[in-house]
Amino acid sequence: MGPYDSSISPAAGSSNSSSSACSSSTKPPPPDQMDHLLAGAGYKVRSNELNQVAERLQHLETVMVKSLPVDISEMVNDAVYYNPTDLASWVDSLLTELNTNVTVPEPVPVNTDLSDLHEFPSGMNVYGSNHAPEMHGEFSQQAVTPLEEDVSIRLVHVLMTCAEAVQRGDLSLASLLIDDLQALLGRVNSGCGIGKVGSFFVDALSQRVVNSPENGVVQVELTAYENEILYHHYYEACPYLKFAHFTANQAILEAFDGQDCVHVIDFNLMQGLQWPALIQALALRPGGPPLLRLTGIGPPSNDGRDSLREIGLKLAELARSVNVRFAFRGVAASRLDDVKPWMLQVSPKEAVAVNSIMQLHKLLGPGPPIDLVLDWIRDLNPRILMVVEQESNHNQPEFLDRFTESLYYYSTMFDSLDACTAQPEKSLAELYIQREICNVVCCEGSARVERHEPLVRWRERLTSAGFAPLHLGSNAFKQARMLLTLFSAEGYSVEENEGCLTLGWHSRPLIAASAWQAIPKPSPATMGR
Amino acid sequence: MAGSNEINANEAKKVVPLHTWILISNFKLAYNILRRPDGTFNRELAEFLDRKVAANTVPVDGVYSFDIVDRATSLLNRIYRCAPPDTDSGRQPGAGILELENPLSTTEIVPVIIFFHGGSFTHSSANSAIYDTFCRRLTALINGVVVSVNYRRSPEHRYPCAYEDGWEALKWVHSRSWLLSGKNPKVHVYLAGDSSGGNIAHHVAVRAAESGVEVLGNILLHPLFGGEERKESENKLDGKYFVRVQDRDWYWRAFLPEGEDRDHPACNIFGPHGIDLKGVKFPKSLVVVAGLDLVQDWQLAYVRGLEEAEQQVKLLFLKKATIGFYFLPNNEHFYTLMDEIKSFVTS
Repeated sequence: MGPYDSSISPAAGSSNSSSSACSSSTKPPPPDQMDHLLAGAGYKVRSNELNQVAERLQHLETVMVKSLPVDISEMVNDAVYYNPTDLASWVDSLLTELNTNVTVPEPVPVNTDLSDLHEFPSGMNVYGSNHAPEMHGEFSQQAVTPLEEDVSIRLVHVLMTCAEAVQRGDLSLASLLIDDLQALLGRVNSGCGIGKVGSFFVDALSQRVVNSPENGVVQVELTAYENEILYHHYYEACPYLKFAHFTANQAILEAFDGQDCVHVIDFNLMQGLQWPALIQALALRPGGPPLLRLTGIGPPSNDGRDSLREIGLKLAELARSVNVRFAFRGVAASRLDDVKPWMLQVSPKEAVAVNSIMQLHKLLGPGPPIDLVLDWIRDLNPRILMVVEQESNHNQPEFLDRFTESLYYYSTMFDSLDACTAQPEKSLAELYIQREICNVVCCEGSARVERHEPLVRWRERLTSAGFAPLHLGSNAFKQARMLLTLFSAEGYSVEENEGCLTLGWHSRPLIAASAWQAIPKPSPATMGR
Repeated sequence: MAGSNEINANEAKKVVPLHTWILISNFKLAYNILRRPDGTFNRELAEFLDRKVAANTVPVDGVYSFDIVDRATSLLNRIYRCAPPDTDSGRQPGAGILELENPLSTTEIVPVIIFFHGGSFTHSSANSAIYDTFCRRLTALINGVVVSVNYRRSPEHRYPCAYEDGWEALKWVHSRSWLLSGKNPKVHVYLAGDSSGGNIAHHVAVRAAESGVEVLGNILLHPLFGGEERKESENKLDGKYFVRVQDRDWYWRAFLPEGEDRDHPACNIFGPHGIDLKGVKFPKSLVVVAGLDLVQDWQLAYVRGLEEAEQQVKLLFLKKATIGFYFLPNNEHFYTLMDEIKSFVTS
């Protein structure tokens, strides 16, 4: 797989404002703005808090100096930390851990003001190809260009040029380029790397060119059974879904702490793979399990089976076996915005968790479905809204931008799949991903449902929609990393991102998990709504 | 102990700007928690705490970055390049691909710095925010390319892993057609690093010299060296400016092979087990020493050792600088350093 460049058009109005190369501004910034020097180091500290933070750091050191190293180690083993970007609160949490009587001069502001968030458009990972053995012994000072790297770069170049031609409507050029691409594909190893993912993109492009470049194609619908098979293989072949389920369950479990009646609303039940673990965790909860209601949303079956009901029965059986009182309800809806809140039958006495694993982006198509749905979610007053989404921007208005970004995103994902040698049967997992690729590249309008957006955008949306972040902490981080050790491929990385967790391949995050709670709406009486 | 701690804090606060004091103190205290007395390291918490940034192919202040994983070694390198001036804003998507099909220049010489981040062999990564920011500045400064190496860290990977990774990175860089420059094309490579990264740069340069691989220069930013002996600077500055001798000892124990002491040649370059560099085609060196760094006597000994081996070395001694002075552009030492680096790679 050769190196190639991703050029994402800067999102409107955002330029990364971390420290520039040689900034020596003499004008003092507004006092409660985030300090830009520390922002370049990854920390958010308000300019008018700098002295305070310094004092607390000094105090923390004094306390640490007094403590025994072994005590500190123990403290660290038990403690949970959140959002290290917020330096002030990090220092405070350490101080609290060390049980000092520190009087905080003023309340530490809860930072729900995300207007200072700097947008970091996602980059890409580029991979060097397997080298052919060097020609002059161990090393040659002549630049030896591995043949495959050249072809890979060329392949990506032509893919881009072709996508650009499609965007311009120059279909004859696009067709010619597709022929070129087929030829190039013949020269690379199509079993892995750029050869594999490249062929999917060439396919998608040629479908689009042949069929309907303007209006896009409509993807062939699979039967529910076929969908389940692909999903299941994807679930097994790589850790992305498992990470999503695992992290979500952790957060939901914590949100349900102390609650006797809990209700989970799953936006895409599928095979219910997420829920056995939660049921078991609730069964083992100190103080005993709550009454658990699960409402599973899924598409109406197109093959005569009532798969929602089947899954519900299986989960009920499991719950019975571990003595968890359980009730299941299936809600069939082909699109999330077809769901009406009354269908969910939420009772005011229950603690509600809304679980959305790669579903919300489907609501970003034409119209306001996302706002409507977020609004009724908020009306349910959930204790937690769990959102896991693909960490990439595949929803940009320009086709070429979407194409470029998805090329890098899925190349990275395919690379991670390639590296999982423990799973020999990967072709169905790849097909699952291929359908996503096809949707991003070939479809338009309401048919294009894979409208992934990155975490920074979701943060903006969810905050405007009246949700406040619930930070995922170091315990969830640690456990996610442990989960990854079960996979043979080294290269998966979990990162903490201002209270959210991402799972990626090497340094490129691919999936982002975040948790939210609804800010109660102001009452109509006071707001005159 | 508490009293002297306050004195130390006040001393340090007098010489470093507030932002730098906050940043380095934060690292210091977090690192205290991560190092366990039994020599193990809390890697989970370290990765959780480390602020990372993704590569960004959209130029910011004229610099863009992308990551490459070398499949053969699983090693990640982050590449920083200057954006072509006329396409800085409103970049044509896909235009960047052309840049990788061509050498950096067919007429001019474009320096490529292979950078090894610091962290006492244990902390940080190529995608750590502090190093990403630093490498961006470096790239813009030299108007060239910076390759930041994500080498394997101790205690999980002890000596010689970091050196091996550095060597692989050097070979990899030399073999990229898109890093060539000049009328007689070759990759114009410099090695650079801060703290442990400086130590790695030295050892990679030695191996390069022994193997006949060209390195045009070494830039060592308060490189990490040491030895069994306690130098005067170690005693005098112990605990005064963010660093304690006992911390340094912990990192050496975590990096060196088990049972080895600090006179191991990885650590004590010109010590009892050091190699003789006289007559070796070693690159010219720029060694930057912070006058408030307790390791300075070892760094000065390194400079003397190079001089005695008749190697070309320039010492930049920054009397009032503490470790990490180069992370933020808020002090004169930073700008002095940048000027020196620039002339070093353009002379």
